[in-house]
Amino acid sequence: MGAMERTAVVLGSGPIRIGQGVEFDYGCVHCVYALRALGYRAVIVNNNPETVSTDFDTGDALYFEPVNADSVEAVCRRERAEGVIVQFGGQTAINLAEELHERGIRILGTSPDAIALAEDRERCDEMLGRLGIARPQGRAVQGLEEAVAVARQTGYPVLVRPSFVLGGRGMEICESEAHLREFYSEAEGANPGKPVLVDRYIRGLEAELDVISDGTDTLIPGVMEHIERAGVHSGDSMTVYPPRGISRAVQGEMAKIASRLATEMGVRGLLNVQFVLDGETPMVLEVNPRASRTVPYLSKVTGVPMVALATHAAIGGTLRESGYGSGVWCPVPLPGDPAMNAGGVWAPGTPGAIAHPDRYAESDDPISRIYAVKAPVFSFQKLARVEPALGPEMKSTGEVLGLDSTYEAALYKALLASGVSFRTQGQVIITVNDADKLEAVAIARRLVAAGHTVGATSGTRRALVEAGVECELLNKVQEGSPNIRDRLYEGRVSLMINTPKPGDQNTADARMIRSTCIGTGVACVTSIDTARALAHALEAYTDPTKTSCMSITEYLARKAPSSTPSLVT
Amino acid sequence: MKILVIGSGPIVIGQAAEFDYAGTQACRALREEGCEVVLINSNPATIMTDPETADAVYIEPLTVDFCERVIAKERPEGLLATLGGQTGLNLASQLAAAGVFEKYGVRLLGTKLESIQMAEDRELFRALMREIGEPVPESWIVESESDLEALLDTVPYPCIVRPAYTLGGTGGGVAYDREALWEIGRKGLKLSMRSQLMVERSLLGWKEVEYEVMRDSAGTCITVCNMENLDPMGVHTGDSIVVAPSQTLTDIEYHMLRTASLKIIRALGIEGGCNVQLAVNPDSFDYYIIEVNPRVSRSSALASKATGYPIARVAAKIALGMRLDEIPNSITGTTKASFEPSLDYCVVKIPRWPFDKFVSGDRTLGTQMKATGEVMAIDRTFEGALVKAVAGLEVRNKDLDDLGYRKATEEELAEFVRVPTDGRLWALAEALRRGWTIAEVNRLSKVDPWFLEKIKGAVQSPPPNPIAYKMVDTCAGEFDSRTPYYYATCEAESDMVADPS
Repeated sequence: MGAMERTAVVLGSGPIRIGQGVEFDYGCVHCVYALRALGYRAVIVNNNPETVSTDFDTGDALYFEPVNADSVEAVCRRERAEGVIVQFGGQTAINLAEELHERGIRILGTSPDAIALAEDRERCDEMLGRLGIARPQGRAVQGLEEAVAVARQTGYPVLVRPSFVLGGRGMEICESEAHLREFYSEAEGANPGKPVLVDRYIRGLEAELDVISDGTDTLIPGVMEHIERAGVHSGDSMTVYPPRGISRAVQGEMAKIASRLATEMGVRGLLNVQFVLDGETPMVLEVNPRASRTVPYLSKVTGVPMVALATHAAIGGTLRESGYGSGVWCPVPLPGDPAMNAGGVWAPGTPGAIAHPDRYAESDDPISRIYAVKAPVFSFQKLARVEPALGPEMKSTGEVLGLDSTYEAALYKALLASGVSFRTQGQVIITVNDADKLEAVAIARRLVAAGHTVGATSGTRRALVEAGVECELLNKVQEGSPNIRDRLYEGRVSLMINTPKPGDQNTADARMIRSTCIGTGVACVTSIDTARALAHALEAYTDPTKTSCMSITEYLARKAPSSTPSLVT
Repeated sequence: MKILVIGSGPIVIGQAAEFDYAGTQACRALREEGCEVVLINSNPATIMTDPETADAVYIEPLTVDFCERVIAKERPEGLLATLGGQTGLNLASQLAAAGVFEKYGVRLLGTKLESIQMAEDRELFRALMREIGEPVPESWIVESESDLEALLDTVPYPCIVRPAYTLGGTGGGVAYDREALWEIGRKGLKLSMRSQLMVERSLLGWKEVEYEVMRDSAGTCITVCNMENLDPMGVHTGDSIVVAPSQTLTDIEYHMLRTASLKIIRALGIEGGCNVQLAVNPDSFDYYIIEVNPRVSRSSALASKATGYPIARVAAKIALGMRLDEIPNSITGTTKASFEPSLDYCVVKIPRWPFDKFVSGDRTLGTQMKATGEVMAIDRTFEGALVKAVAGLEVRNKDLDDLGYRKATEEELAEFVRVPTDGRLWALAEALRRGWTIAEVNRLSKVDPWFLEKIKGAVQSPPPNPIAYKMVDTCAGEFDSRTPYYYATCEAESDMVADPS
């Protein structure tokens, strides 16, 4: 080992689980590549045999050890490491920051104090208040009665969740005090001893940003919009880049908020900020001082080497040294902005330009040639007795991406890749809760127009027929055969749209329908927002050959092939 | 030569990050040999879909339509499908059936389609096994509900239901009576890509052993490693605690099973990596061949990490026609890929299940895999590796002590020991802590007494904290090996930090 060589230890994310998947391995591996490119000796600690990070030639050294404080400390000392990078190994690694710091190990990147701040509800609230940044009303509580009192103040529904937990374990939207009283102990039990968060629940559009900061400059590689409204865990939401339903003014505002947070917290590396829109007001839902699961795909569709830039910042480099700076990355420069080949030490970078958030907000010009739609993938078929309806608790095990030059084609590809069948033979069954009936009518109308036949049980059917949508009546399970379940077993159903009543996912009939879908392999959509997106995609595409077929490099290329339709906003 | 590599798509239970690892390694290996690599995968959260991994990356749905368009546009000469898990293999079979290979003159590299089909189609596979004299458990093929009905009164119960062409045994299960067989069988028929399933004599309680074997086009075969499941037959390998190398086989048994595995890979004509699963009677030398995966798998990822032998990399080179004795072992730098690794340490894998998320989920383990991921630990001893793996699982218990099982009554505990669940390891530990005899715990759980002795030892005197680091030596000291790949153990001396060269 050369005497002058600088060594950094990179923490992996341990075993793959729901909420912490392969996307965190992507971060670790790219962090190692970046460190090596910067002349560091990069040492990996991880115990997951399935990953690239534990391949023998990924790092300069590999320690196949548990990702916990004892083994990390020992490795740091043996390797005489300058410090340890915790921001790419998911919650597993970031949770070790404080303890490692206390044991005298240097945390490279965002400070342990800033990490603690982001995860400490009171300190975070205080910071947001001081900066004048809105967030849904609510706070951390220590007991049921305090939770009830907070909910009375904010009004129902409230989102109840434990603190310091990844992937939304023990999380629920409570519609009433009775519901809150029933659920509270589960949230408390998910992370015993830690406070429970009670917040007003806003059923608005959700968006998230991953930003990179060096403490001075903050780069926003892109804004991602969630297709499902608040209430569905971000890991289970479909997301679209660039946004379609959120105005550029609001996007610019979110970019500014995220930048302000990064500067205030002294972020050195990545920061993920999640928002819900209350009308046109972005409210901060979550601040995560680490790489999030959207980093790999956002890196790929924007061409920004996000992990490399963040790693560089974590060891004291600047965005400017890498040829970047502050603002929103636009793969297609706004008019008048020259395209630059940013990249610096990471050359060759993908061309694009950085726009100030204000300028980004004021312009309506397209910033990307492609749409990228991420869709979740579930493994319910393997697990008996699991409720598949989407909610604030994450349930998906993986994800797919649809890429194309139009939103509809990207959506179509994402849904198809996630396992939704688009064949027109077979019936679409719709059974939705009362709140969703109006939207269900519009969706059914579009499906029928696209050549699908629709079936529904009495309640939903009444709404459809009254609105003039042709629809077959199906018996509920308890109404006797032939019923909706028999229809599923016959193999003549192409899609199920079944939205549970809020706060009441356990109605026996609805549960049975959903579990029969799992058993028979019929795609089951449980959010009306997903259903709307699906209908939209179905209208535009039934034939794969009508979509583009390009490599990711071709999509990002400055000059798109002539077969590609024009730019998108 | 331009080669299309098919990835494995999204992470689902039964198909996780191991295919990103394998695919990435394969793409690099192909490019090293001067090939131009085109990749198709729908999963963006992977290293293999980085623009740097392949010459062209298509993030597209893994269906025949989309794949054909990529083939039509890129016109690859070869296609490598054995690194994209079951998804990759299924897609390759569909492309072949749709005539896409013929239409565009694409050659399937590595293991031939006929070999793949022979390994995956139960009937063809059984015929081949009969031909070479390898034992397979009695079984019945079911292709319709009426087949199933006819079988209800003839099979021995309990019996195992395995749908053909599904991931991780989806839709399979153990049927203890005719009602259960009817229920599981009907579901399995629907889930099988070919509406085909097999009902099979149950080997519940037998030892389950796997061999990772490789073969090149010249017919040279090696075993990379063998692995033994701590959980006896009845629990999916992906849900089993696995140890490498095997610990309870006699030398005779080890070689008997090794010979059988090599015979099979030869008979199938595999060109690349292959996984052979066998069941061994704990009380005799009887064994049965359970299953063969004619591709890189989760087990081969584990075997690669356990031995330092890069199976996917070597499989990719074999697919190009290279022979094992021509491929350098990049870990040792001094040996060739035709050398079988030998270990001077012990490796334990423990699965990670999602029941912390799915509190209401059915926690019993069977032939359908439920784990989302796994941890691996290396140490000089089984106890050391086991305890280390538990510490790295990131579950409620950091060691073998579980408060819940401590509170269980004797009867409750007996049930926890008997029925495999995600918590059984801790139930075994608790029973042994209470002083139950090895014989009694073995009678209930069928876990081999050797493992139980070791768990008992780990419970009574937990292995001391590791204080030294050893290099993962894949040749057990026989050859010089310079891998900067370490594990902690409790010994006096550490190996030096390797010179980066």
